[in-house]
Amino acid sequence: MNDLLFNVGYGHFLALAALLFLIGMAGVIIRRNALIMLMSVELMLNAANITLLTFSRMWGDEGALSAHTFALIVIGVAAAEASVGLAIVVAVFRGRRNVDVDKLTTLRH
Amino acid sequence: MKLYALLIALAICAPAVGLAQPAPAQAQHFADVRSGAQSPASPHNDTVDGHGMGMALLFWAFAIASIVGAIFVISRRNLIVAVMGMVGSFLGVAAIYMLLYASFLAVLQMLVYAGAIMVLFVFVIMILNRPEDEPVAPTGHVGQVVGGIAILYLIGRLVAVLWNVELPNKAVAMAAPRMTQLGYDWGSVKAVGTDLFNGGLFPFEAISILLLVAVVGAIAIARPLHEDDISDEGTKGPGHS
Amino acid sequence: MDPQSLTFLGLPALLWIPLLPLLGAAFNLILGRYFSKATVGTIAIATVFGACVLAGILVFWGLFFHPASPEPDKVLPALWQTGGYTQTAWSWLEVGSFKAPLALHLDSLSAVMIMIITFVGTWIHIYSTGYMAGDPGYARYFGYLNLFTGAMLILVLAANLPVMFIGWEGVGLCSFLLIGFWYENDAYAYAGRKAFVVNRIGDFAFLLGMFLLFWAVKSLDFEQLKSLSNGAVYSASNWGPGHAQVWGHERLAAAGGILLFIGACGKSAQLPLFVWLPDAMAGPTPVSALIHAATMVTAGVYMVCRLSFLYSVSTTAMMVIATVGLLTALVAAFIAFAQTDLKKVLAYSTVSQLGFMFVAAGAGAFNAAIFHLGTHAFFKACLFLGAGSVMHGMEHGGSKTPGDITTMGGLRKHMPITRITFLISCLAISGIFPFAGFFSKDDILSGAWGTHPPGWPIWYGKILWGGLLIAALGTAFYMWRLYFLVFGGNERSEEAKHAHESPVSMTSALAILAFFATVIGFIGLPEAHVFEHLPKVFHALPTFLEPSLTHTWYVDAAHQPQIAGGFADGTLFTLMGVALAVGIVGIVAAYGLYGRGPSKTVDQLVDGPLHGAWEASKHKLWFDEVYDAIIIRPFKLLAKGLFEIVDRFIIDTVAVNGVAFVIGLFGRLARWFQNGQVQRYLAGLIVGAAAVFFVTDCHRHPTFDITRTGDTITLHAETGASVVGNGAKLHWHLDGSTDCAGEKARPADPPDLTVRAGDTGARVALCIDDPIERKMLVVSRAVPDVEVTP
Repeated sequence: MNDLLFNVGYGHFLALAALLFLIGMAGVIIRRNALIMLMSVELMLNAANITLLTFSRMWGDEGALSAHTFALIVIGVAAAEASVGLAIVVAVFRGRRNVDVDKLTTLRH
Repeated sequence: MKLYALLIALAICAPAVGLAQPAPAQAQHFADVRSGAQSPASPHNDTVDGHGMGMALLFWAFAIASIVGAIFVISRRNLIVAVMGMVGSFLGVAAIYMLLYASFLAVLQMLVYAGAIMVLFVFVIMILNRPEDEPVAPTGHVGQVVGGIAILYLIGRLVAVLWNVELPNKAVAMAAPRMTQLGYDWGSVKAVGTDLFNGGLFPFEAISILLLVAVVGAIAIARPLHEDDISDEGTKGPGHS
Repeated sequence: MDPQSLTFLGLPALLWIPLLPLLGAAFNLILGRYFSKATVGTIAIATVFGACVLAGILVFWGLFFHPASPEPDKVLPALWQTGGYTQTAWSWLEVGSFKAPLALHLDSLSAVMIMIITFVGTWIHIYSTGYMAGDPGYARYFGYLNLFTGAMLILVLAANLPVMFIGWEGVGLCSFLLIGFWYENDAYAYAGRKAFVVNRIGDFAFLLGMFLLFWAVKSLDFEQLKSLSNGAVYSASNWGPGHAQVWGHERLAAAGGILLFIGACGKSAQLPLFVWLPDAMAGPTPVSALIHAATMVTAGVYMVCRLSFLYSVSTTAMMVIATVGLLTALVAAFIAFAQTDLKKVLAYSTVSQLGFMFVAAGAGAFNAAIFHLGTHAFFKACLFLGAGSVMHGMEHGGSKTPGDITTMGGLRKHMPITRITFLISCLAISGIFPFAGFFSKDDILSGAWGTHPPGWPIWYGKILWGGLLIAALGTAFYMWRLYFLVFGGNERSEEAKHAHESPVSMTSALAILAFFATVIGFIGLPEAHVFEHLPKVFHALPTFLEPSLTHTWYVDAAHQPQIAGGFADGTLFTLMGVALAVGIVGIVAAYGLYGRGPSKTVDQLVDGPLHGAWEASKHKLWFDEVYDAIIIRPFKLLAKGLFEIVDRFIIDTVAVNGVAFVIGLFGRLARWFQNGQVQRYLAGLIVGAAAVFFVTDCHRHPTFDITRTGDTITLHAETGASVVGNGAKLHWHLDGSTDCAGEKARPADPPDLTVRAGDTGARVALCIDDPIERKMLVVSRAVPDVEVTP
């Protein structure tokens, strides 16, 4: 117990990332608001970044820095995804006055 | 609401505390003394009080901030509260980056996520200005139970696997990165930039084109297609929902 | 120049004969509706006439321009003497050893046929332009008529059975189309269907005969079939000693010949498949003349003559043909007595005359059959066209039932040309000297009298002769009854009084056909000593046909006796006299009873002693009723049963709806997942991921096998099929100790190990270093004492 609380190791960081990732996934699954779903996706991307950086630190050498580069790119992609996703949300809302994904059924049949 | 205020405070001061952590002399010292001695291995052998206690406290504080923020995101009906939870979570994550010596990315995390993306979300929420009718998807009791069990099991299983990951090179993993005049050599702007513009040049260019496309796409999607659409908005109105 | 290499536009010259009418058909059927009636009619006539000219050039090329025969005593040029020539257009079917090139063969037999078909066809086309002038389906009609001509030419020019079958089916199709030409009338459409179905029965047998011949001979080419028959393929020796008794010594020839003859029965309206022909009179009258009198219905006769080499091997098949022909001739003549429809009488007359031809073929007098085929084509076409002219006139007179002879009479005053040509044709069909029918019918009668194939009773030829005489008497009687009822006496209705002569396009055809019906008989005078000093042209036809027909009965390669023998002049002229006398008796009897319209004697006879016979004749011997009862009704019952059980229940209910039900069931199950909500899918993804982890968790318990063979112990590690097992480090503890603490640093052992029995303790343990969870797993098993055979 003492170890678990005070001797913080790489396992702690990875477990935190796993927890964040699954919370984000739960958000995507249970929420119906497109905005909340987008936020949850951002959470999942952040969790992925935490694992990337943790493993990078774990290896510790110069080559492991490409994980930082990769995390940087993930952030860039996340930004792009957020901008386009929000644009879609706005466009959908303009047409339907609603961003509830369950009600976006035009393409269903 | 108090919890929310506390969270914000934690999130704001977290990077500062994280940045204050490493002390150059100590780092060198602990790197020599502790390497290979502790199990499980810690990313921070250099701790505030020499027993890892301060380091642990920081980790727990920011970890809890991140998780509580995340739970806010998925559980709150009020969208503004959800966004604030997300910002808190992101700031916590930025601090966690700092604990991993990724100082450049920590700053970037704050700028991009806690800054730009948060503002974007807030603006969109202001445009929509509409509370959710039914926040949680109707999955039925069976679905809820099965999904809940599956998520809990996955959490346990993932944590169990990740917790036990073996270190590839204990000596390096336990040692602190090299110090320079400008801070730690590893994970700094210079180090990441060198890597980014050597091996990562092509992905970097690709991501810049992706961002350009995303900007153009976002404008094209969000813009009204015709002048009529604007007038249509009024007629379609709330009755459409 | 060799006619065999003659080509035009890259295609063999022979192919152009059927191709011309087919091109005309294509034009008239596809584009005809956009052109005027004059254009359509001109093209239709021009193509058939072109075929006629081309056929004439090719036939007479052989007669006159080809180098003469090297043997001076032969009458014919070498081309015809050697059996004509074949031109191959292209390879049509080729499956394994089966080859059916689209080859056309011109020999004297097909030469006679193409001349008849194109010549009569041309005049019937010309006649049709007048007859069909007011019909809305003008282009369609001429398209079909051209198509028919082309198909018929393919039929007679075919060099092998498959190509003949193309023409065979083609003419059947055109017959069906033209019988049902006025398809708005249900009865007409039904008549077309009846003709088609009855012909299918015959065609099925025809196909079976083809298969049988191919199975035995491995070829369907006429030349090949013929040359093989000169060997002993068709005789019994090849079919095993135990089978020699079945059908004499000609099992194959008899079976194949009879099957093909059944096909001919369908096409040529012989007993028992003749029922379609009288109904076929539903079509336009020129069609009845061309298809159902002059050409198509003679295809069966032609086929039998074409395969004369085959039938000459089998007296059984010939006897079947002759008997069926005789019965048909008698039955049809009998039915014709009481018919009151103009065209029906002619139809039964056609059936009867076809019976004559089959008797001739069956008796081995193949050239008599072809001779009668030719003369019959002229006078029957003339009769039908005359009937068409009469009905045309009656229609203009206002008659609603233009074919009913009870309303006619006295038309000789109103339609003089039609009357004269009809009279000539009636004289010809009755066998009155010097008209064409006299010579051909006499040829048949004398052929039947003199036939003596081996295996036949010696008196059977005489029976045939007697039967034919009765049929000839009947022919003369019913034809002249018809003539007197139509043209003789006084008008029996107002419409008949207002009838008038037909246009010149129709009467010109009548005149030409009547002319040939008069003179054509003189090309086939019988062989008699008194005729020897006459020019060769009077004996042209038998001489011409000689090389294409086989008149000899095959015993073996050395013995081939004549089937029908020649006669002394006295016998010949006696037979001629008898035939002539019979014809005259028939005419006189008809004049007595019907000379001035239906006489009182007729009524007395019909109500009195001949009542039953009259009823039987009137109701066509109840053939249709009998077929309906014994074939059609049970068939419909069977069809209904099959419909209810197989279609309604098995296919509809079980197969179709059952499949739909099962698919619907799965669909309803799948819909629960596939509801279109991305979130539901994502939840499925997570549950699936959890399941994968769970399953690997359950399967990650490692173990190992231990087997003993004598003193050798074999160890095989099973590290478990999961994340854990792959890449795990193994350490064997042969002494059985389960302490794995110190093993982490040591290098791994291989998963398979073979040791001696003495090297191990009582147990063996395996330490497994799980690389992911960094646990040490220990498995321990006892070493077996003795060998255990699995």
